Amino acid sequence: MTPALEISHLRKVYKSGTVAVEDVSLTIHPGDFFGFLGPNGAGKSTTIHCVTGITNPTSGTIRIFGVDAVGDYRNARRLVGLSPQEFNVDPFANARNIVDWMGGYFGMRAAERRKRIDMLIQRFDLVQHANKPFRELSGGLKRRVILARAMVNDPKLLILDEPTAGVDVELRMDLWRYLQELNRDGTTILLTSHYLEEVERLCRNIAIVNKGRIVRNGPKEEFFTEPGGLERAYLAATGRSAEHAVVAAR
Amino acid sequence: MTVNWIGLWTMIRREIQRLMRVPIQAVVAPLISALLFIFIFGFVVGGRISSIGGYRYLEFVLPGVVMMNIVNASFLQSTSQVYFQRFQKSIEEILVSPLSYVEMIMGTISIVILRSVFTAIGIMFIGMAFGAVHMHSVPEFLFWVIFVSMIFGFLGIIVALWAKTFEQLNVLVVFFITPLSMVGGVFNTVAMLPPWLRWLAFGNPFFYFINGLRHAMLGFSEAPALIGVALTLGLAALFGVIVWRLYAIGWGLRE
Repeated sequence: MTPALEISHLRKVYKSGTVAVEDVSLTIHPGDFFGFLGPNGAGKSTTIHCVTGITNPTSGTIRIFGVDAVGDYRNARRLVGLSPQEFNVDPFANARNIVDWMGGYFGMRAAERRKRIDMLIQRFDLVQHANKPFRELSGGLKRRVILARAMVNDPKLLILDEPTAGVDVELRMDLWRYLQELNRDGTTILLTSHYLEEVERLCRNIAIVNKGRIVRNGPKEEFFTEPGGLERAYLAATGRSAEHAVVAAR
Repeated sequence: MTVNWIGLWTMIRREIQRLMRVPIQAVVAPLISALLFIFIFGFVVGGRISSIGGYRYLEFVLPGVVMMNIVNASFLQSTSQVYFQRFQKSIEEILVSPLSYVEMIMGTISIVILRSVFTAIGIMFIGMAFGAVHMHSVPEFLFWVIFVSMIFGFLGIIVALWAKTFEQLNVLVVFFITPLSMVGGVFNTVAMLPPWLRWLAFGNPFFYFINGLRHAMLGFSEAPALIGVALTLGLAALFGVIVWRLYAIGWGLRE
């Protein structure tokens, strides 16, 4: 079966000389809910940026459902939806326009866009806020707009870079339910998060990245058979102090 | 590979919506500036200058004023569009979409041309109020408006990709565009210059842009049309290829 995402020996060195990704290889199968963990600066977002075309990889290959993300970037990008960590939008535009423009870039016709946007606005409880400028929305509402934008093209691979950072419990729970629903319907999801309970609850497979390299990769169950579970495995894999690991084990 | 027309149109309508938020900067400012140029240089000063090539001084000046505004509108449009999108990171919305690099550039340049055409039409209306508008050849007029817009649209994109600060956006305008357009024959013929200065006019690309538009409007020209057309097409192609290459390698975009 063609993997949903296949990254092989990805390396990214920024112009400043910073090596953000040293050597990342991973495979995500269609229909998977994949957790991508790591401390700040480990290379999670840079890997995602390379996959989605926000930044150029220095070397390595990326295939999305078998399509080369660099050589055949147009077809590769049709398959992906991205909710980035940062709010990369025009802050003066309103929520409806932000989602609508993204649908337009993906070549969706006006009627199809309208139907999809109405559904997403309803789904993310944005009806009251759809015509307000983005900069006037609260942090949680902004995050909802970004999520709706990521889903407007009904992507086969949905990439969520810390989607619940700074959102309230209600939205988090609601988002979890929706993501599980999407995943059940066949959408492959790649999730990065600093909330381990979120990854534990949602993901089937987990990779831990540290200093630009994958240091652990496997099914979720593997992490839970160890004392201290995912938390301890994470601390050990990312080279955190033994004290942290002992606390986690308790 | 088929063209993503809906994506292209989305780029254009998005930018139109952005421009509607800044109507004074986008529409009113160039018209007021043109009105002042026409009034002072064409009407007040021009009243004391005899005709040039059988045309009133105001009629002679108008094509130059139109061209100066086309150049400024084109450059300002593409620099502000691309630089602000980079600054806000909203350019990532386009980078993650299935638009080709050529389509991304076409989307930006289309709005540059639209803005230039509307600016030119607005100034022509002001010129009409002063009874100074002539049209010798509409196709020629469109050629100069479209291709000069493309040249400065492409240049604006290059500057917007290079700039790290707002101040750097103005470097080309202050040191290159404004001085060269001022001495490019907006207000005078080459014959009015002392002989030792005439080579400067013929070596200035702005002279050919202004001269070309003046020929389109008045049928009055001081240089062979072919040189101007070849220069304009050559510069548009050169800068177009440079911009395409920069998008393809991701310079200033995906580094």
